[in-house]
Amino acid sequence: MTARQDATELGDARRRVEALVCDLPGGSEQAFDQPWELRAFAMAVAAYHNGHYEWSEFQLSLVDAIRRWEQGDGGEPWRYYEHWVTALETVLSSRGLLSEALLDDETRVVLATPRNANHHKAHREPVAVSPAISRT
Amino acid sequence: MGPTDTRLRTQEEITARVKALEALLIEKGVMTAAAVDRLAEIYENEVGPQLGAKVVAKAWTDPEFKARLLDNATAACAELGIGGLQGEDMVVVENSPTVHNVIVCTLCSCYPWPVLGLPPNWYKMPAYRSRIVREPRKVLAEDFGFGVPDDVEIRVWDSSSELRYWVLPERPPGTEGLSEKELEALVTRDSMIGVGAVAS
Repeated sequence: MTARQDATELGDARRRVEALVCDLPGGSEQAFDQPWELRAFAMAVAAYHNGHYEWSEFQLSLVDAIRRWEQGDGGEPWRYYEHWVTALETVLSSRGLLSEALLDDETRVVLATPRNANHHKAHREPVAVSPAISRT
Repeated sequence: MGPTDTRLRTQEEITARVKALEALLIEKGVMTAAAVDRLAEIYENEVGPQLGAKVVAKAWTDPEFKARLLDNATAACAELGIGGLQGEDMVVVENSPTVHNVIVCTLCSCYPWPVLGLPPNWYKMPAYRSRIVREPRKVLAEDFGFGVPDDVEIRVWDSSSELRYWVLPERPPGTEGLSEKELEALVTRDSMIGVGAVAS
């Protein structure tokens, strides 16, 4: 990162995010192992940017989630971003921005909807055709 | 499936949950999809330890910069356009022939993001966080294959949200003729965490 690149809007945005997350647990070797981890990461920052909670609340919630895991029976593997999601849900619920029941329902709907329902089949025809207006 | 549910989730379940969460939050106006995309984009490919390597190579070749780095790492990194975040406080600890330094965050995983990028998974693991404090010499040797000579003292530094440490490794012998750019390439992320050597 050079000083010049740093002056870009992207650099500014990144600096603002780094100011938040440098004190938190982060990602993996490749930053994020799974796409959902990156989405969850971005959501937590976006909600904070929009003023929905203090970053310290999220941080405490994350530390709590990790602590609960540590006090568990060890049956659960260590998956950092699960704690991140838990922390995010907890903070949003406590602020009245999220209903866990609704989230459970919505999750079931997503699970029941086949992902890319038709993407395993070859589509050999145009998926849509807009006919010519006129022919010569 | 509430937040405190400890039931094991499959990747499919957690993916669905995050997707559902995003949809609900966007619907409620807590955030926009564009904002989430933007933030995700910022982090997808960017930050990495090459920034720290740049700082280390400069310190190896410029004694005055090195003195400033050890005196106030945050300010010295800012000279190179790195970090410069408000409220941030980084401290660089220097390795020597008699002292080897290694960093950890025992509470969660505080880490000097602006110079090292995102922390590796093992850094966040409870096993590393607790064991490196209890038996650092053994962990370095057994888990990282990094033997610290018996006559070298090992200091483990616990980063917190107030103060984040990182390591200035020793410049390897035989590199006198290398340029700053060539030296940068030798600096590994692990050497700045203190769990590995500089490339040679």
